[in-house]
Amino acid sequence: MHEYQLKLLDFIKNRKESDVGSIAEGTGLSRDQVIWAVEALLEKKAVNAEKSRVAGASLTKEGREYMEMFPEERLVRSLKGPLKAAEIDDKIGLIWAKKNGWITLEGDTVKVNSKGMEAASKGFEYGMRKILNELDGMQSIDDGYMKKHADEIKALERRKLLNIEEKGFIGSVSITEEGRRMLESEESEGVGQLTKEMISSGSWKKMKFKRYDISAPAEESYAARLHPVREFINYVRHVWLDMGFVEVSGPIVESAFWNFDVLFSPQDHPTREMQDTFFLSNPKEISIEDVALLNRVKRMHKANWERIWKEELAKQALLRTQATSVSAHYIYKFANAVRGDYPVKLFSVGKVFRNESIDYKHLAELVQTDGIIIGDNLNLAHIIYTLKTFYQNLGFNVNNPKEFRFKPSYFPFVEPGLEAMYYDREKGDWIELVGAGIIRKEITKALGTSKTVLAWGAGLDRLFFKALDIDALTTLYKNDIGWLRSRGRLKL
Amino acid sequence: MAIVTFNINDLGSGDTEKLVETINRIGLEVEGVEGDEISIDVTPNRPDMLDFYGIKRALESFSNGKVPEYGYYAVKSEPELSIEVAEAVSRVRPYIAAFVAKGVKLNERSLKYMISFTEKLAETYGRSRKKMAIGLHNYNIVNGDLVYDASAEGRFLPIGADREMSFDEILERHAKGIKYSNTVSGKGRKKYPFLRDSEKILSMIPIINSKATAIDANTTNILVDVTGTSEKTVKETANLLAASLMDQGGEIYPVVILYKGRKEVTPDMTYRDIKVNLRKVDSTIGAKLTESMLVGYINRMGYPASKYGNNLLVHVPPYRLDVFNYQDVVEDIAISFGYDRIVPLPVRGVAVGLPGDLYEYGDDIARFMVGLGFTEAVNNYLTNEEISFSDMGYAGAAERVSVVYSKTENLTMLRMAILPGILQDLSRSVHERMPQRLFEIGSVFEVRGGKPYEKVNLAFASQNSKVNFAEAKSTLESVMKYLEVKYEIREAEDKAFISGRCAEIIIEGKKRGMLGEIAPSVLENFKLLEPIVACEVNLIGKVSYFEK
Repeated sequence: MHEYQLKLLDFIKNRKESDVGSIAEGTGLSRDQVIWAVEALLEKKAVNAEKSRVAGASLTKEGREYMEMFPEERLVRSLKGPLKAAEIDDKIGLIWAKKNGWITLEGDTVKVNSKGMEAASKGFEYGMRKILNELDGMQSIDDGYMKKHADEIKALERRKLLNIEEKGFIGSVSITEEGRRMLESEESEGVGQLTKEMISSGSWKKMKFKRYDISAPAEESYAARLHPVREFINYVRHVWLDMGFVEVSGPIVESAFWNFDVLFSPQDHPTREMQDTFFLSNPKEISIEDVALLNRVKRMHKANWERIWKEELAKQALLRTQATSVSAHYIYKFANAVRGDYPVKLFSVGKVFRNESIDYKHLAELVQTDGIIIGDNLNLAHIIYTLKTFYQNLGFNVNNPKEFRFKPSYFPFVEPGLEAMYYDREKGDWIELVGAGIIRKEITKALGTSKTVLAWGAGLDRLFFKALDIDALTTLYKNDIGWLRSRGRLKL
Repeated sequence: MAIVTFNINDLGSGDTEKLVETINRIGLEVEGVEGDEISIDVTPNRPDMLDFYGIKRALESFSNGKVPEYGYYAVKSEPELSIEVAEAVSRVRPYIAAFVAKGVKLNERSLKYMISFTEKLAETYGRSRKKMAIGLHNYNIVNGDLVYDASAEGRFLPIGADREMSFDEILERHAKGIKYSNTVSGKGRKKYPFLRDSEKILSMIPIINSKATAIDANTTNILVDVTGTSEKTVKETANLLAASLMDQGGEIYPVVILYKGRKEVTPDMTYRDIKVNLRKVDSTIGAKLTESMLVGYINRMGYPASKYGNNLLVHVPPYRLDVFNYQDVVEDIAISFGYDRIVPLPVRGVAVGLPGDLYEYGDDIARFMVGLGFTEAVNNYLTNEEISFSDMGYAGAAERVSVVYSKTENLTMLRMAILPGILQDLSRSVHERMPQRLFEIGSVFEVRGGKPYEKVNLAFASQNSKVNFAEAKSTLESVMKYLEVKYEIREAEDKAFISGRCAEIIIEGKKRGMLGEIAPSVLENFKLLEPIVACEVNLIGKVSYFEK
């Protein structure tokens, strides 16, 4: 008989009834090991055990989208005044808001009632959403929970937001007469644990060792690990380093001057609105120390955009929206300080920020890698070579025009501008990988250099999907220990 | 970015795949094709492409290399009428440009395209009509010279209504009035811009036109007015519309604008000449072209060109608003040449890659922590006051970097410490096997003396039923020994830790971190079920960039 079975029989022999949890605690076995031992002992008729079913839940894609907010919640939050039912596009939200008694129908006019107002308030916790979120975190759902929330779970299932799968479950376990007999006859069958004492005294030479059942389950071991984002970024960094680039970095809390103005972005450009950019209330402003530079940038704007250029708009503090600001700082630094050996090749990897509504596809914080080459006689052919080499190293088939290509594109700070795209077979569509180009002469002149600067900026988040086999970007920064422990290697 | 949608048959070609390919080649992006409808994404530098006729024009010259001769886009004869800009309007919406297009051949579809063009222009280039808006009128109904004025009072029958309305009523009740009221209200000054002829109001600007002069598919003579707060944008928009209406058979008659003390004639359809030399083109594209090839490439992008000594003179048509100087023309030549034909070329010069100190430092510590059995967490920088302060038992901190407005409710500030994020991570993992050990090394932010500071902290936490202070202390000890940092710890009080099981970390005489067993009240706030010991220590006091 296997050691686990012995331990189990020994533990329950003087108890009337025991459940899996208490057996695991009392014997030091894992739940899986206990369940395995009970199954084996049942076969030998050594125990009686109550078997039942237990459930586990998995969220559907739609369910995942609902985790932040349900359509009916969105509806009552967005309804400002009475509205005709026909004018509400979100029928699902409408049906459920009605079911929940959050809205009142007068004729065909929809009104949010007091119960609905409460549901629309900030602190409100919607039962259905709460349970959806809880179920996502549970490995198995016990009966009590199932019964307590039967209505909500049934509704969630009907709405196709989750699937409930039933699994086997073992209830209370007790020993049989046959079990007692087996336990007694097991005595003196051989030695279990080999001890230090047996080795040093040599007593092992006369001993017989018990045979173990090697098919018994063993507990999974978890290694401490680096975060996949670090592993991936390190891979990207090493590709740049191997290509002879020097790593640099720059501030995240930045002035609009370096993030926008230096980069030829007009002051009334839509991306400079609060809708897209995180402006800061503390600090409100970041001063621009080099007044001569400030004046050159001001002249550049007035000559090419509007006649009015406001210094106070340039001083606004923000979270950088692209890491090209880092490149701009370095073009300026190399123009004004070191007369280095050209070409100078620099790269950075860092966070950028977009004022987005977060869901599984959109994050407010993104990881971007930027690069520049400063030098003479540089042209589009060099950009194309550099980016092709980079993406080849990241596993793209860059020489197949059906999978990878360059096309013209527009970014205010480069001319010509281009982007590289790859063909995503699953989506059946071309996806942008990187924006690139030659920095406008107006900009390099304002930053104080007569050299040519090639520049590019690429989002890395989309590549995380590929390398990690995940379907939601939010997974990356949740730091769920179960996922961090058990995820596979990066696929590069 | 703006998306425009056209009927694919209007663009001529029967071969959809080829059409999509060509549109992509000229730098636009096809969003999708559904049935007969094609949607195209137009980048903000090409407002002329928001126009069906702009795209048609570009596709035609790109396909056959034929381009209207130099000076084709021009105005006819003498000014047709004048618009006087009154004193009152010069303070609220000072600029106007206008012209009359005669003999335009419209039909239902081209009318739809034109309305869509003007609306998209006003939305994007005109910043939702605030900076610029466009009015189209049936010129046959317009009587005499015009006045561009502003007043609190005025009544007319607007499009989309069935009775006369006052300006105020329009703002309150008319759909367009409600939508665009923000462009005229504010600052307490209640004077609304409007345009009138000798007998009636033609439009309340930039809200709605009068029904009397509304255009339809049978209109042949059109008065176009463009108003706004930027004279440059207003004039440029007039050029775009004039070119579009010429492509629809119209002849353009200019209008005299009488500002106080000066006079402008719009539209100004002058071509701008840009000198391009072959060597400069070659050195940007990285290809060898001949002069005759070059002319061909230039023509295909819609520019006429002529010889000028050893250079070429490229004549930029008045609707090309994105061309500042030779760089922009060279880009068009590169597009015309085809990016896929450029032969990749390695950058010359030997170079040795060099990793950044900051990243390497973090990487080093991360590997060490993994060796100690801690799994790495990476949390976002954006967080909120609840997690950072109240859940930790702290009062808020005025030194935090905070954002003005966020689309996501719970992102209001940059993190000042890493530990709250780690506790939140652990609370998401309560069902996972114990012990759980997490660490993170990364940036935290604060404002001191009005200036933002970025610092680098290390935080770690260990959770299981038997953790104690000594475990955390021992981990800290190994890390500091590895980093060769001298430190001491002193008993301290901190709301996040149990009193008597909490210490502060002192490095070079300054408090640089905390260490201890997390208080049960904090565990409760984070819905954590087992005891935790944790530590956060500042390793780099101020990250300084660009100094080396």
